[in-house]
Amino acid sequence: MIKIEHLTKRYGDTLAVDDLDFEVRPGVITGFLGPNGSGKSTTMRVILGLDHPTKGRATVKGQDYASLRAPLHEVGALLDAKAVHPGRTARNHLRALAASNRIPFARVDEVLGFTGIDSVANKKVGNFSLGMSQRLGIAGALLGDPEVLLFDEPVNGLDPEGIRWIRDFFRSLANEGRTVFVSSHLMSEMAVTADQIIVIGRGKLITQGSIDSLTATAKGSVFVRASDHEKLISVLKTHGGDVSEANDEALSVSDLTSDQIGQIAFDADVVLFELTPQRASLEDVFMELTADSVEYGSSGARNER
Amino acid sequence: MNADMSLGSVIRSEWIKFRTVRSTLTGVFVMFILTIGLGALIAWATRSHWQTVSTADQVTFDPVSTSLIGIVFSQFAIGVIGSLLITSEYASGLIRTTLGAVPKRLMLVSGKLVVLIASMFVVTEVACFAAFFVGQSIFSGVVPTASLSSTSVVRAVIFAGLYLTILAVVSFSLGLIVRHSSATIGIFVTIVLILPLISLAIPESWRVHIVKFEPSELGNAMTSVVTPSGDLSASRSLLMLVIYAVVVLGAGALLFQRRDA
Repeated sequence: MIKIEHLTKRYGDTLAVDDLDFEVRPGVITGFLGPNGSGKSTTMRVILGLDHPTKGRATVKGQDYASLRAPLHEVGALLDAKAVHPGRTARNHLRALAASNRIPFARVDEVLGFTGIDSVANKKVGNFSLGMSQRLGIAGALLGDPEVLLFDEPVNGLDPEGIRWIRDFFRSLANEGRTVFVSSHLMSEMAVTADQIIVIGRGKLITQGSIDSLTATAKGSVFVRASDHEKLISVLKTHGGDVSEANDEALSVSDLTSDQIGQIAFDADVVLFELTPQRASLEDVFMELTADSVEYGSSGARNER
Repeated sequence: MNADMSLGSVIRSEWIKFRTVRSTLTGVFVMFILTIGLGALIAWATRSHWQTVSTADQVTFDPVSTSLIGIVFSQFAIGVIGSLLITSEYASGLIRTTLGAVPKRLMLVSGKLVVLIASMFVVTEVACFAAFFVGQSIFSGVVPTASLSSTSVVRAVIFAGLYLTILAVVSFSLGLIVRHSSATIGIFVTIVLILPLISLAIPESWRVHIVKFEPSELGNAMTSVVTPSGDLSASRSLLMLVIYAVVVLGAGALLFQRRDA
């Protein structure tokens, strides 16, 4: 697990991270959310010992990253998929990484196969598409079979197929009991990927909790089409739902989750044709939460490093 | 489980990185061409003009340093290799991946240094001995030649390789400080090539005290059989060059340890 304790990081006059305090638990996917320049990448760099904290500390499994005896066996990270020497082949890149932590070369072939880039393993990575580079970065993160994984904006620039692959992959890692920490500036992405969410803005913690609890505060609505609208409206209202007509053929329900609506409809023998949570409202909450920091960010001083 | 990171594993990793990029191989190839090829060219020019050389110059002629003259040019190839060992990692961002695997920064610098020094020592010594033999065989019959039966000749050839190897360390250390390939190589060229030109503008009475401490002049003294007038002795020149390298390396390692990556 990852623990951030009163972390402050200053670059010259710029306060990138301001007294940040949170924990990332194993077995779930934790989304790290904030507008561009809110301090996500800085926090991740401090966790990996790349940048030194101005105050406070970041620990992985109770230790400073630099004091880990075999870092790749403990933590796998992908900060920047293009952070590879363009003239080196994928296999040689991974072999060099593996050698540093005494990981056998057989493992290199394993992760190449797992990430589906074994066919281009002997090609120079400078010619890789962003999607292939992301897969190479993930292969590198998996080399030491680590319990803790960090990914900075992993879906940036990926095609839909790649995004889906990465999402399923994170899920399988979390299901194996690993700690999965994923940053993004897209609420919509995190809403379908993460279980827990940590939201920051201007380097400060804004909120944290489960997706469900955040959705609750979001007052999100659910788009519903059913066999018997009249009956459904009445049972939903008795369960505390706020129902309105979205259009001639559909309802918009708030104050109830899609899970609850499905169960209520089932109990009332109403057939559902469509049940779609409206994620836009979650996005709105995020925008609202981070509005101050975005305004501050666009005024100039803050740069994503 | 013996799976801990150690200096040995870091050296192995750095060796894989070092030999799997084309710039290293190109640099070594260019170093060979310049050391041996230019040495041979100048040896041939010396031979064909030997009759026109004044008697005074014929007496002080050093067949060893003349055959090794190529290192004046190949030192730039060496500078590029030394610099790229670290600055190419900054250019691509690879340094952050590397430090993720090896967060102990002084261990990483040590691993890179071992790979750089060992590989550069081997290839530069091979090149310098080859240049020596090629040069002597070109001189043979017309120009006086030297043989390895003299220890001071052996010393001069070995020191030529050491000169190049230490310059690789200097360039690597500058790279640790500057972190940009072109800027590092610019500074390196300034030190070994421009500095001697600038010192030409200094009044003679001061210059004699300064020139002998310039890296290129240290190299000249190291590769000469008889110490040129006004220079430090070969072994003192080597010591001076090592001191320079250690100072720059110390500064580079300190900054590398302290700075954000």
